[in-house]
Amino acid sequence: MVETASDITWEDVARVYGRKIYNFAYRLTGNPDDAHDLVQEVLLRVRRGLPSYRPGSFEGWLWRITRNAFLDDVRRRKRRPTTALPDELDRTGLVSSPAPDEVLASIRLGEDVQKALLDLPYEFREAVVLCDIVGLSYDEIARAVEAPIGTVRSRIHRGRRMLRERLG
Amino acid sequence: MSHLGELLSAHLDGELSPAERRRVAEHLEDCDRCREELDELASARSAVRSLPMVEVPASVLGLPDEVVVPLPRRKSFWAGAAAAAAAVFIVVASILAPDGTALTPQDLSDPFGARVSLDPGFTPTKVAQVRVATGDFAE
Ligand SMILES: [Zn+2]
Repeated sequence: MVETASDITWEDVARVYGRKIYNFAYRLTGNPDDAHDLVQEVLLRVRRGLPSYRPGSFEGWLWRITRNAFLDDVRRRKRRPTTALPDELDRTGLVSSPAPDEVLASIRLGEDVQKALLDLPYEFREAVVLCDIVGLSYDEIARAVEAPIGTVRSRIHRGRRMLRERLG
Repeated sequence: MSHLGELLSAHLDGELSPAERRRVAEHLEDCDRCREELDELASARSAVRSLPMVEVPASVLGLPDEVVVPLPRRKSFWAGAAAAAAAVFIVVASILAPDGTALTPQDLSDPFGARVSLDPGFTPTKVAQVRVATGDFAE
């Protein structure tokens, strides 16, 4: 259990959650550079915020910080999220070269899903990503996005229905 | 009686109250339309869950290379910390036995297997590759 702020360091957060924070941003934007910037910004905010963290929902606290950092970043860039291209995937270290055809095929399959995700309005995309990529419970998502749990449930459901329409 | 709607997604996520669970079970017995919608929602859900987790260079996190943790999607903080300890052990093990395990057709036909296989592991080869990638990010 995370009892007090002194039980946890930003390095712990980086080790345990860094990859998830990165993937949260990557799947929301489809852009590895944005994800890279976000994970560093979040860890900075965690470092600053930990002394005032009070025992409660650590996941809710962390993902609220992550989400706010993400939205601040989007506002600052005023840039529309773009879809990842294969050469961008390569820069993340995901694709080894030369990649077997099977691996490339599998990544392309993922690209369809990524494109479909990017088509969703932000609230729905965010709810689906927090649920199915990050793996939060509805209660944790509600704390992270500061919305009632019924709203979260509805967004996840509608998000999946929209995905289903786009994926055929 | 109205159809289940968003109760179906909550059902897939294990997020129903006991009363809702009973209602969903009873309704699904008699309603083709909701069973069909349940299948569609399940396929959308698993499509997203099958996306590979992208690896993050440790240096991006401000950490030395050997401590980046591949975190399963549903773990408490301290279970994650235990995974960290295990991961360090795996790094040591993979340096001792750098065999560069290849993907098999079976790995790729199983979505979860494919996901795991796509996750860059802790082989020295991958670590070296990640260092190359971070060079791109440095200003
Ligand atoms: Zn029905």
